[in-house]
Amino acid sequence: MASNASADVTTMTFERAIEELESIVKRLEDGKVPLEESVAIYERGETLKRRCEELLRQAEARVDKITTDANGAPVGTESLDVR
Amino acid sequence: MSTLLLTHTASSLNHKVSEGHPERPDRIRAMEKALSQDTFKPLVRDEAPMGDLETVKLCHDESYVEEIRAMSPKQGLVYLDGDTMMSPGTWEAVMRGVGGANAGVDAVVSGKAQNVFVGTRPCGHHAERNRAMGFCFFDQAAIAARYAQKKHGIGRVAVVDFDVHHGNGSQDIFWADPTVMYCSTHQMPLFPGTGAAQERGEHDTIVNAPMRPGDDGVKFREAFEGVILPQLQKFSPELIIISAGFDAHWRDPLANIQLDEKDFGWVTRKLMDVADKSAGGRIVSVLEGGYDLQGLHDSIVEHVSALMGH
Repeated sequence: MASNASADVTTMTFERAIEELESIVKRLEDGKVPLEESVAIYERGETLKRRCEELLRQAEARVDKITTDANGAPVGTESLDVR
Repeated sequence: MSTLLLTHTASSLNHKVSEGHPERPDRIRAMEKALSQDTFKPLVRDEAPMGDLETVKLCHDESYVEEIRAMSPKQGLVYLDGDTMMSPGTWEAVMRGVGGANAGVDAVVSGKAQNVFVGTRPCGHHAERNRAMGFCFFDQAAIAARYAQKKHGIGRVAVVDFDVHHGNGSQDIFWADPTVMYCSTHQMPLFPGTGAAQERGEHDTIVNAPMRPGDDGVKFREAFEGVILPQLQKFSPELIIISAGFDAHWRDPLANIQLDEKDFGWVTRKLMDVADKSAGGRIVSVLEGGYDLQGLHDSIVEHVSALMGH
């Protein structure tokens, strides 16, 4: 597996996670993954997908706070704890 | 009529692989343990003979066949890719698989048996016309289908593949052949990357019903009842070859499908129903994958029991 495959997904940026996920999807679609590693690579892809979804949810939560709080007035840049 | 079991233990065990490789000799030991139960005493047992090289060329390019034979090592392992390797015993093991599948065809055509299970390794359905891959060298299920046509004059043959990996080799071989229907359930995405529903062959005789990771027996049965069985019945095969891989079992380490052994019994009986209607009940089932020894054991019990009419 490539060296970046061992990187900790929980701290990855969205851009890095989606880049690796796209690379995994392409490898799986092209049939360039050995049979023996195929499941491990697919499962890595699932972890990356969950990380991307988590980051998107966090971004949506921040947008929601700005747009729905304070009677329609912007709140500023205070971040929302979505853990 | 009876069910015939064709095996060749010595050669199947002599196909050596690297340490920790999932397609290992213990798979054959698990199969033999399963079929040593009293339930299986009525099986007629025979040795899988060596295959005829000319029959291999019905599906694989002559130059490829010769290349594989020439690569056979005197000692150690020769790697064809990261998954696929030859030891000194591999050639005989592969040719016993081919011979077993063809002998299975002879048995059901002559009436010696109603149906046959060929329990050899390595598997075959990833082997393309001129490429070894995914633990496979020659596609014995595909060869048996063409052998049945050439030797016995059978018109329409169906190859039904429920191994969890798509049989890219079988699809490659039959892509432009209107006389053989290739049907497959398999996980997508997964190795080898082929098998989308829109891959239908030049004559609509390729039928792929991909499953999502995590799908269970309910989805498996839907795939057969909704997609494969109607197409199969319409095609009306005169012989059914099963590429019987048991790696869609929930225990299997190489995939994420959640079948249990009863699902393999169910699908076997469904295919027997089709065979009864158009093929005089003739089925030759060829072992493909299945890498968890307990899952393989339990699945073979259900599959062969079903073939025996239990």
